[in-house]
Amino acid sequence: MILVFGGVYQGKLDYALKHFELSLDQVYFCTERDSTLPTGKKIVYEVDKWLMALIMNGLDVSDAGKKLIEANPEAVIICNDVSCGIVPVQENERKWRELVGRVMSELAKASSQAVRLFCGLPMRLK
Amino acid sequence: MRIFISGGCKNGKSYHAERLAVNQALRPLYYIATMRALDDDDRARIVRHQNERAGKGFITLQQSRSISQILTNCDCRGSFLIDSLTALLASEMFTAGGKVDRQAGNKIIEEIQLIIERIENIVLVSDYIYSDTLSYDLLSEAYRKALAAIDRCVAGLCDTVLEVSYSQLTVHKGYGEWDAHN
Repeated sequence: MILVFGGVYQGKLDYALKHFELSLDQVYFCTERDSTLPTGKKIVYEVDKWLMALIMNGLDVSDAGKKLIEANPEAVIICNDVSCGIVPVQENERKWRELVGRVMSELAKASSQAVRLFCGLPMRLK
Repeated sequence: MRIFISGGCKNGKSYHAERLAVNQALRPLYYIATMRALDDDDRARIVRHQNERAGKGFITLQQSRSISQILTNCDCRGSFLIDSLTALLASEMFTAGGKVDRQAGNKIIEEIQLIIERIENIVLVSDYIYSDTLSYDLLSEAYRKALAAIDRCVAGLCDTVLEVSYSQLTVHKGYGEWDAHN
């Protein structure tokens, strides 16, 4: 598994498609409404949105990272980094922000590579 | 050297950008101020930056719109500091009459490409505003998206790309050029 993360609009998907020579039909696009465990594609895009769906639906999030890793052992996981702002007012958003941080750390540990995108440029952290 | 520098607010971007601009080989040395002062906070910030620049040899020019004008108004064989792309986009996108120009980002990208092609010694400053949880209104989100597109374009064209984190620099591109000059 490979983790690609960074702020919004930093070119994460473009990088993954180009670098790993994949096409858009090989991408699983997560949404904030669908809590189904993403699987079956080469790229899982915006996993933070799937985590938001879990919270919005009041589901158990304690093993979200583990399930994601088990379901996508060979995938490129793309996640928006939402860790650098102030603490959100809404409880759901606070829970989500912490969940994204925890899951990203789990993903980074389980990945063979971790790449951060900054203004379109990749920096390999692992 | 063509240098792009970004990072969080109050991290020391301007300090490093000025230092890097002063260290460029060519003269004259231009400071291109892009911020259009709208309130007392802005005016105070401008005065503070002017004081910090005093005695460093900059010729200061105000260009908050149509940035490619510097190609006709300045000696392109000199060194330039453009501070900042963030303020430039704000004044191009949110015009004085209250109108919003949604093409402002693309216009700036076209102009900046010309500038980077013509000017060899240039430092461009932007702001990294992409890693929080806030849901913004559509207008702010359009602004953020446009700035990110400008950033990605400029980062792609520059020799060296730096991120400032509380005065510390991370080199994202151009290690060789960076080592040779510092």
